[in-house]
This record gives sequence, C-alpha cells and structure tokens, in this order.
Amino acid sequence: MALLQIQEPGGKPARQMHRLAVGIDLGTTNSLVSARCGLKVESLPDAQGEHLLPSVVHYATDGEIVVGTAAKARALIDAPNTIVSAKRMLGKSLSELRAIGHYLPYEFDSTRADTAPAVMTRAGSKDPVAVSADILSALKARAEDALKGQLEGAVITVPAYFNDAQRQQTKDAAEAAGLKVLRLLNEPTAAAVAYGLDSADQGNIVVFDLGGGTFDVSILSLTRGVFEVLATGGDTNLGGDDFDRLLAAWLAKQPGADKHSEGELLQLANSLKHQLSTDATVEFALGSNPHSLSREQFATLAKELLSRAMLLCRRSLRDAKLGLDEIDNVVLVGGSTRMPAVREAVAELFGREPLTSIDPDRVVAVGAGIQADVLIGNKSDSDFLLLDVTPLSLGIETMGELVEKIIPRNTTIPVSRAQEFTTFKDGQTAMALHVMQGEREAVADCRSLARFTLRGIPPMVAGAAKIRVTFQVDADGILSVSAEETLTGAKAEIQVKPSYGLEAATIEDMLQSSQANARADMELRSLQEAKVDAVQLIDAIAAAVGVDAHLLEEGEGQRIDEAVAALAEALESGTSAQLVQLTETLNRISGDFAARRMDAHIGRALQGESIDRVESE
Amino acid sequence: MHPAEDFFSLFSLPRSFAVDKPALTANFRALQAASHPDKVAAGDEAAKLAAVQRSSLLNDAFATLKSPLARAGYLLRLAGIDVEAVSQSDLDPAVLFEQMQLRESVAEAPAGEDGLAPLAALKQEIGARIEVREAAFVAALEAEEFSATKRVFHELQFLYKLFQEIEASEEQRLGY
Repeated sequence: MALLQIQEPGGKPARQMHRLAVGIDLGTTNSLVSARCGLKVESLPDAQGEHLLPSVVHYATDGEIVVGTAAKARALIDAPNTIVSAKRMLGKSLSELRAIGHYLPYEFDSTRADTAPAVMTRAGSKDPVAVSADILSALKARAEDALKGQLEGAVITVPAYFNDAQRQQTKDAAEAAGLKVLRLLNEPTAAAVAYGLDSADQGNIVVFDLGGGTFDVSILSLTRGVFEVLATGGDTNLGGDDFDRLLAAWLAKQPGADKHSEGELLQLANSLKHQLSTDATVEFALGSNPHSLSREQFATLAKELLSRAMLLCRRSLRDAKLGLDEIDNVVLVGGSTRMPAVREAVAELFGREPLTSIDPDRVVAVGAGIQADVLIGNKSDSDFLLLDVTPLSLGIETMGELVEKIIPRNTTIPVSRAQEFTTFKDGQTAMALHVMQGEREAVADCRSLARFTLRGIPPMVAGAAKIRVTFQVDADGILSVSAEETLTGAKAEIQVKPSYGLEAATIEDMLQSSQANARADMELRSLQEAKVDAVQLIDAIAAAVGVDAHLLEEGEGQRIDEAVAALAEALESGTSAQLVQLTETLNRISGDFAARRMDAHIGRALQGESIDRVESE
Repeated sequence: MHPAEDFFSLFSLPRSFAVDKPALTANFRALQAASHPDKVAAGDEAAKLAAVQRSSLLNDAFATLKSPLARAGYLLRLAGIDVEAVSQSDLDPAVLFEQMQLRESVAEAPAGEDGLAPLAALKQEIGARIEVREAAFVAALEAEEFSATKRVFHELQFLYKLFQEIEASEEQRLGY
C-alpha cells in the first residue's frame, strides 16, 4: 500500500500534458483505432477519410508491407502473399485450421511445429502474430499522424470467448508492433463502455452483438462508474451471413430463380437485406419475373434465427440471475444489428428501444478508446472501473480422467483460487498437473491448456502429502497456475501460454454439450470413481502380498489372485456397478489376510519395533 | 487469517449471517475501485502484481459473502469448524427421509415443458425450507451450538444443491 501512496502524494498529481493512448478494435474483417479528440473519443480516419481498415496484409515484391484497402485489392491477384482474417488463425494449430475448413490459399511453413503455424510469403515465414502486428503497426502509424505524438499505450479488444492462447497472442502482436498494452478488453464490454460514460446511467445493460458470423450477448451492471460483467454467452455460428443464406434459400424457390447461380442468389440476398434496412419494401427481378419483398416477410423468414438469438439472451439473463424487467438498457453492436427485424425482436424481448446512437461498427473501438484514456491516467481514479468475468471454467485433471473445476465460468477476475490435492500411490514423489478449460466433467471433453510437473514431494503413504494448486487469472483473463507441497514447500509453476488455443466454435459446443451431457457425465464420473477405487485396492493388495506373503493361508493367495484378475478384467470393460461389486468381493476375500497383517504389525510394534519402520513398509 | 482481517471486517460489516447487501456491494466496489490492477495499468510490474493480489482477494471475499451458503460455510470456518468432514450419521434420519422425498418429487416431474410448473412449485417449496433452515442456522450459531450449526449447514448444502439441480433441469427443458 505504501508504494501506491508514494505514487500520488496528497492526492492527484498536477495536471500534466495529455498522454496519448488509443483504443483498437482488432477485427477479423476490419480494424479501427480511436482516441480522445477534444471532449469526445472518436475513431480516427486515414488520409482518405476512411475509418475502417480492412484487416488484410500484403507482402509486396519490393519488400513493402501493404495493409488495408490496397492489400485487399491484391488478395485475388496475389493470394499466397496476402493474408486475410489473421484473427481467425490466432492461437490455433495448423491441423485445427485445416479442420475448420476456411479457405486457406497459403503455403504453410513446413519447418514449423503443427502448433505454431506460419504462412510462407516472399517476405519470409509469417505467423498470425506477425500479421496482426503489421495491422496494429498501420493503426499505430495512423494514430500517431492524427494525434501528432508518440502513443504511450493501447487498449485492444478481443471477443469475450477468446481463450488464454488467443489473448496472449493478441498481446504478443501488440508488443511486436511497439504498443504497450494497457488492457485487453472484451468487445461487448467495450461497447457498453462507449455508451456508459456518455450518460450517467445506473442499472443493468445488455450488449447484443451480432456480427457477420458470430453472436455475443453480455449482461453488465453499472453503478457509479463501476461496470460489472454479470454473464456472457452467445453462438459463434450465428451471424449476418446466416440471414443471407436463409434469404437466398427462399429466393431459390421463387419463379425465375433457375436463371441464377447460387452465388448470384446469395449476392442478391445480401443486397436485399441491406436495402430493407432503409426501405420498407424492395422490388427485384429473377430472370424476367418481377418480385417484391417486405420487411415483414423478411422478418417471418428470419424468425427461427431471431428466436435462437433471443433464447441465448434469456439464457444469459438467467446466468446473471436477472429478469427481463430488470434490464435498463440494450446496446447494439455489429453491422447486422442494422436490420430492422433484429432491432424489433430485441425491442420486443426487452420491452424497450435499444440504444443505437453510436455506429454499431465503431462502438467497440470507441469504448476501447475511452478505457485507454482512463487507464493512461487522463481521468481521475474514481471515475471508472471495469470488472470482467471468465467465460469458461478452469480446472485440473484428477484421477480417473475427470476435471475438477477450480474457477467456474462467470467468476469475476482477477481471481486466485486454491485447492488441495493429494498423492495417489505410496511413495509418490512427483505429480503431473494437467490444466483444463471447459464445462464438462471428462478430460476428453475439455480443452488441455498446459501440463507441468511438481517434483520433490517427500515419499509418504498415499493421501498423506498435501499439494496446494493455485489458479490465478489476471485482469486480462490470462491464467497462471502454481503447485506447492505444503509440508516441504516444494514448488512448481507455469504461466499458461499454450502454443495454440481453442476454436471459438469449439468453446460454444463445449458450453452447450455440458448441459446436454450432464447425465452422461454423472454416469461417467461414478464409473471413473469406481475404477480409481479398484486400482487402489489392487495396488494395495499387490504391495501387501509382496511384503507379507508368509501370512497367506493355503489356497488364500489363489482366491485373492482370482478376485484380482476378475476385477482387473472389469476395469477394461465393466460397468460402475460391476466394478463396485467386484471391488467389494476382493475386499471381503482379502479381509482375513489384512486382519492377520494388522495383528502381526501391532505385535511387532509391541515387541519394540518403531512405528515408523512398520509404516514405512 | 487474523480475526481482525476476516472478510466481514474487510467490507466494514458485522460478522453475522444476515448481511446488508447494498452495503456489501457498495463497499466492495469502492475497495475494488481503489485496488484494481487497472488503476496501475501504466505502472510497474510490482505494483501490478500487488494490485492483482489485492483485487483477487476482494473478488473472493465478495463472492463468499454474497452467496448465503458460502457465507454460512465461512462463518463455520471462522468458528473453527471443519465443514468438509461430513458423514451420513451427522444427519437425522428424518432429514434423510425428507431429502429422499424431495429427490423423488424432482424425478417425478413430467418431461419437457410440462415439467416446468411442478419444478417451479418445488423450487418455491425448497426456498421456504431454506428460509427455515437459515433461521435455525443463525439461532444455533448464536447459541454456539456448533454441532447443531454444522448439521443445519449440511442440510442447507443439500437443499441448495437440489435447487441448482432443478434449475439445470429447467434449463434443459427450456432448450438453453
């Protein structure tokens, strides 16, 4: 605490020169940079007056790095040297990228590990971090030109569902571009910030973000400048493109559609959708057949997509433990929220008109700019605070390939949680720790984030060592894990910085299937627990027979062996009920032997042998 | 933890099961506003680390006091009672029977959306039982009857867990 006081003796420092900090919306398709200009935070245009910078990088023959509209124009002519949608590649392995099936017209660097893919360009091998850094450098140069000075820091937005790897790589890209990252900010949160400070509102806010391909909903509460994220949810496979496809499918059934290719119908669908955002009805022709389409018709077609989005809103409200009537404001983000059908559905669900005064394409960048201005210290401390949450549960693998959750999803960050574990076998001196992310109970259904080993545990009987595992998630959502044996202080730790991360769609699947599979998980858990018990008993008996075989009565050893064999067989293919039964049988059969051992050891102890020696056997 | 530094005193609240929620929230936010890492975002690593630790502690303390069950467990820990160690024999047979009956009622709710109304009624029923138990918990704690306090705590644990299971079942029926 003393340190903090030294920073600001007797209150605020004298008003210094305005420090330059920007907000950056590093998007999949387009990126923006914003900063305080006078009283307002606004996105900054380039020399041609364009605010949106296409997130495309072209590596030209003369060695120049071209970013933006000019690069986009080269995407078709020189695809192998022009990288689009680098954001989709952040934090992923090459095999994951191929599995997702995005069109990848690139030659990947074969000398790189699968987990660290890079594209071979004429400018050399470029990984998504390097490409993102080039985009960030272009935005930095734009901002420094416009603001006429050096930037001291930046707030960069990321999707709420970005995992550790994706967040870490975003930070790495910023560092490579020479930007000091003040904070990674979740995109929906940034949007709420953009509106929050303009009005001195207090209450609960829903951020409804419908982009081209993804949908995010966040529930926030605002009280006197403190934003608290209560819950986040969404669907990474729901966006404006789905409305295009739906409309194209309808068009294909209309008279005259056979005169048009699928691609043409999709293009027409997209343009009709845009026109319906300004006009109540549009006229068009298919072949020589005249047609018209009204907003109402379109809304009817889109009903299913809209109800899916509304369902996800209700689910997040439930996570936030709020009712529909407790929502005070709804913020719209993303170009797809320009559709009147979307606005109406939102207004109907929440019983109020959504906020639309800030351009839905720029609102995230504006919010990031506001936050950057606060964090760099241009605003007094008490003004504004943002408390964010973890989007997915974090845990550790335990015996039986189960995941023990240590930090549940929607926990406010930063957070530090510790849990105690123990050894499984006698004399165990090391423990492998496997850090997992996801909602399901089985290791196979969650995402592996990192593995590390704690060594130097003193040999003790199973269950005697106390291993304290601590998870720490910082304000950027980045995790570090440490493990300590509390008796001896043996320690190991790791910052979770995996070389690749989760496909966003996978996260959503994991969330959904966790609910659908709760029952299967319970059955699996009981099976796994039964297996753990069985293995422990088999090990204990093997150890006991090894030491005290002379205490076995005639035929007893064989009976025990048979029961062990039956149990071992059930371990391979048995149900939990069979395992429990066979474990009980083995316990019963070996019970007399165990009792004789106990008597013999007590007898020896009474004869003067030290308890330690008895136990060490 | 030093008794003077427990979560209640952290938020300037009396150590009791009944908490003034608006005061808890207001004090939490005021303390976070002073200690959050964002306040030293432009500062050095040592200051950031200290802020992360302090801010994590505040989040943990707030989450503990906000949830009635976590708060009850915390009060028991402060009283030096090990809440982890529970055996069936700690529970009254009448309570075990009550638990069994409640579980059966949950299992008997019709599938699909038809089950929503009976589940809502059950939630209300369980809510009422939770209220009774919480009052009993407060009384036992004040009387320093620790074994009774612990027993009621375990009954509460069961009721809250069942409540959560009903909510999960509702969510499944709603297609969430």
